[in-house]
Amino acid sequence: MIPCNCVVQEGQIPDDTAAALRASISEFTERAFGAPAEFSWLAVPERSGFTASAPSTSSIISLRAPRAVSLSEREPLLRELCGIWTDHTKCSLNEIVGVISDPVAE
Amino acid sequence: MPLYMCNSAKGTIDDAAKPKIAADITRIHCDVTGAPPQFVHAFFVEDSPAQPLGDKSAMLFGSIRSGRTDAQKAQIIEEMQASIQTHTGLSRDEIGMITADVPASWVLEGGEIMPEPGEEAEWLAKHGHHAPAE
Repeated sequence: MIPCNCVVQEGQIPDDTAAALRASISEFTERAFGAPAEFSWLAVPERSGFTASAPSTSSIISLRAPRAVSLSEREPLLRELCGIWTDHTKCSLNEIVGVISDPVAE
Repeated sequence: MPLYMCNSAKGTIDDAAKPKIAADITRIHCDVTGAPPQFVHAFFVEDSPAQPLGDKSAMLFGSIRSGRTDAQKAQIIEEMQASIQTHTGLSRDEIGMITADVPASWVLEGGEIMPEPGEEAEWLAKHGHHAPAE
């Protein structure tokens, strides 16, 4: 399983959209890393998220790769991942932060 | 990025305090690092198991780009803890904070790989923003 932490603003993504989004992200991790995503989904309550000191519409998706990934591989993967997010949620690219991290060093 | 995630015991930080602390977090991060405010996210949650409180009433987890010095991180921690103390009435001992370094190359924001610290002006110009005077 690929650990995938999502932080969204409460009420911003309808439940059915979120379910379809998670399914598409899991398909993505299957293609990219050979395993489905294991989600931690955190909704920031209303009036509790701020970007540049203003009420936030930003979401964060952070997944941990099972192996070290080079920048030349990581960048297109991040673009695809954020593209999946914007396609489903109709948010702009300025409202999504994507992170693909390497495994924790033993 | 940075992402500052504040987890607290239910009712510890009221809705009036959150925008004040978020403004302080943004100002402190930008003052200490020179980063522009557009990058700074401050989110507040309660009793989140993802960010354990331990023996604290409030914990601030800062995911910041790699490259900040130990002195910068210490200043960020000191001043952000002070902000939470000011706006909540908690004692300093009840407020915890840690930071984690995240390589800029791991992050896509605004459709682009994040710039390394100190290279933000060019990145912002490319995205139609202007870096604030520092």
